[in-house]
Amino acid sequence: MVAWLTDPLVYAFMQRGLLASLMVGALCAVVGCYVVLRSLAFLGDALAHAILPGVAVAYLLGVNLLLGALAAAVLVALAIGRLSRHSLVQEDTAIGILFAAALALGVALISTIRTYAVDLTHILFGNVLGVSAGDLWLTGLLGLAVLTLIGLLYKPLLVVAFDPVLAATLRLPVERLRSLLLVLLALTIVVALQTVGVGLVAAMLVTPAATARLLTRRLPAMMAASAGIGAFSAVAGLYLSFYANVASGAAAVLVATLVFLLVFLFAPHHGRLWAALRERRGR
Amino acid sequence: MKRRTSERHGEAGLLAEPARLELEAVTVAYNGQPVLVDVTFQVPHGAQVAVVGPNGAGKSTLFRALVGLLPLRSGRIFIHSRPLGHHRDCVAYVPQREEVDWRFPVTAADVVMMGRYGRIGWLRRPTRADRAAVARSMEQLGVADLADRPIGELSGGQQQRVFLARALAQEPHILLMDEPFTGVDVTTREATLALLDRLRDQGVTVMISTHDLNLAAERFDFVALLNRRLVAYGPPAQALTPQTIAEAFGGQALFLDGVAIVDRCCPPGEPQKRGG
Amino acid sequence: MRLPYAPAAVTMILLLVVATGCRAAMPVEQGEGLRVLAVESFLADIAQNVAGDRLTVGSLIPLGVDPHGFEPTPADVVRVAQADVLIVNGAGLEVFLEALLQNAGGQSQVIVASAGLTPRQPQEGEEVEGHHEHEEDPHFWLDPILVVRYVENIRDGLSQADPAGADVYAANAADYIARLQELDAWIAAQVAQVPAERRLLVTNHESLGYFADRYGFRVVGTLLESVSSGASPSAQQMAELVERIRASGAPAIFLETGANPQLAEQIGRETGVEVVTDLYTHSLSAADGPAPTYIEMMRHNTARIVEALR
Repeated sequence: MVAWLTDPLVYAFMQRGLLASLMVGALCAVVGCYVVLRSLAFLGDALAHAILPGVAVAYLLGVNLLLGALAAAVLVALAIGRLSRHSLVQEDTAIGILFAAALALGVALISTIRTYAVDLTHILFGNVLGVSAGDLWLTGLLGLAVLTLIGLLYKPLLVVAFDPVLAATLRLPVERLRSLLLVLLALTIVVALQTVGVGLVAAMLVTPAATARLLTRRLPAMMAASAGIGAFSAVAGLYLSFYANVASGAAAVLVATLVFLLVFLFAPHHGRLWAALRERRGR
Repeated sequence: MKRRTSERHGEAGLLAEPARLELEAVTVAYNGQPVLVDVTFQVPHGAQVAVVGPNGAGKSTLFRALVGLLPLRSGRIFIHSRPLGHHRDCVAYVPQREEVDWRFPVTAADVVMMGRYGRIGWLRRPTRADRAAVARSMEQLGVADLADRPIGELSGGQQQRVFLARALAQEPHILLMDEPFTGVDVTTREATLALLDRLRDQGVTVMISTHDLNLAAERFDFVALLNRRLVAYGPPAQALTPQTIAEAFGGQALFLDGVAIVDRCCPPGEPQKRGG
Repeated sequence: MRLPYAPAAVTMILLLVVATGCRAAMPVEQGEGLRVLAVESFLADIAQNVAGDRLTVGSLIPLGVDPHGFEPTPADVVRVAQADVLIVNGAGLEVFLEALLQNAGGQSQVIVASAGLTPRQPQEGEEVEGHHEHEEDPHFWLDPILVVRYVENIRDGLSQADPAGADVYAANAADYIARLQELDAWIAAQVAQVPAERRLLVTNHESLGYFADRYGFRVVGTLLESVSSGASPSAQQMAELVERIRASGAPAIFLETGANPQLAEQIGRETGVEVVTDLYTHSLSAADGPAPTYIEMMRHNTARIVEALR
């Protein structure tokens, strides 16, 4: 049994892949709690595509591509915050607008470059199987920074998300905190993208947190459960990729979704099954 | 600037410092339209004020301006003789309709603890004293047994009492409550009244708004009669006269044998008070 | 995942504006009024050597773009339509060309450079993962001796389009063929430095088949497009590749310019083999790069291969 777990780890790339999966799975899942609670589920997919124009511009200017991607992601995140301020435009609408615009701008710019254009983004969309030691360090350090920030700003972010009126009463800079959260998300997404690719990141931002929501009552517990589910799904995906010959990112997403479905049906309080049983017993 | 709790409360828990609330020619506009015009009055330390007036009189606006949620077009507000903005947790506010995310994963105890955040600061953890204050407040409002329940699972009245407990846990000098008696169940009403009595003993300045003129007359030291501008302000006997009531409520007041009947709250179509 | 139909529409519109404005200018065909257009840059270079001073041969696909992934714009269609002579590689390399020619209309004369050459069959032991990119292998041009046939076809085609220049073309062609034979000898001498057992080619694309045949290499396997272009191989596939490369004893992995090196480098780390990322196979480099002409391109590739395998 143990051999089954350790056999793949004979390969150094699998060892690194495992660590990367754990880190990215957990990090995205924790950050994903805010994504789910603030109804920003679109955001992962949107920002992943929004980096396209940033990459194109960086290429044209001869600047480091990753910086271009980061700049674009942060700009789009801030623009989302700006558009949805004062509730004139909903956040999901703002995301939809900017996502389409950024994607179109990126495609237009890249098509004028007409060299290794297609591969520009593939350089940025990583693969968990291609993680180097340097990637691990970068992800680890950034993950630590993001989690530390979230820990430090836990109470302000909580109040801003839960009760904006109290936030104002306590003199919290509500708009700046909302923008900061979006920027944090953007940073997480770009660096995670570089390590493991789009499919995995977008899903890890939503599904584990949604699952954890059904299992917990308090936010710290939700974050912990989410991290666990995220890490487990990512690692399970890696093992499935090794033994069942499927793409690892896709496998991880499917595992996370399966976990969600199981919880959705069978969770103690909110599960559909128990709810249905309760109703029948009530009759 | 915040000062330590011990410096602000005297030995018996009484507030040692005058918590005066002063408004000076305050005008507030909404989308260019003036909603409150030239309001001036002072509330002495420890007094309890009821703000009354017809719908649309600007009662909610007044509260929101007092906590800094709305900008003043002109005029000034002083708390502790210092302009608004210098105090973080001196003023607690319980709005009429909580605009919170009811599906957020927080328990009732978590919500009450949020009232202590101004005191704890953003980086430190709650202390034993904080937890004790939370427990005490929840006890006083009768919601101690709901501590571990998610806020979204509570009934409307229970939720209201949790938010009152939060305001209490804040240990404010000034408590503002926007229509705390409107559309609440009996338990909550009783709890709120008991709270008001207790706050009086502690010397906390209280300002509420209500449609219930009798309640205002019976239990409050001062009444502010508002209809966009301040029609009258003073002890109930002075502020609530047939003339002032007629002026403030206009056509909505009916006088029968010296009894004033005003159009009570909740015209058809007013949304429910509590979510969840 | 959003499918890019809407962005593609936006792109077309924007491109019509942008392309007419700020695109880098391509050489304009002049001389004798005959407009000659070669599809690939290496073809353009070869043809230019045949045409000499009489004609200017333009290149359709910009430098660095992979013909397999080339998507013609409306401006490209116009250029093809306006060309009097079109030089293509043939043998299935330019899949996009059929639709393009239909759209373009015009009466271009088409010279198929690889006409008359027999495609190779994959050798014993060559494993190509996944599906074949082409029905037959069109990468003749990586063998200089086969390029002799290219030169002959081009010479004949140009002579047909411009009979007055037939002698010039014949002379130029003969010169160039001599240079190709010189190149062939040079490559053989270089390759001789590599011990026979180390003449193993692992690449990201099955382009070096003819080169391998000519100079005694064995193509061990291709890290397919999946590994170098962004589609996701599974961990199992990665592990198998690692094992195969180890088992083969191949000293290096060769990638073409433009391929995504990330997973190849990972395999390099795992197995300790060298990863060479700059073979120019489908396109010349810029004028200041290592492969501005066909002959220099072949010299560069040879040097890199020999260096890595020696």
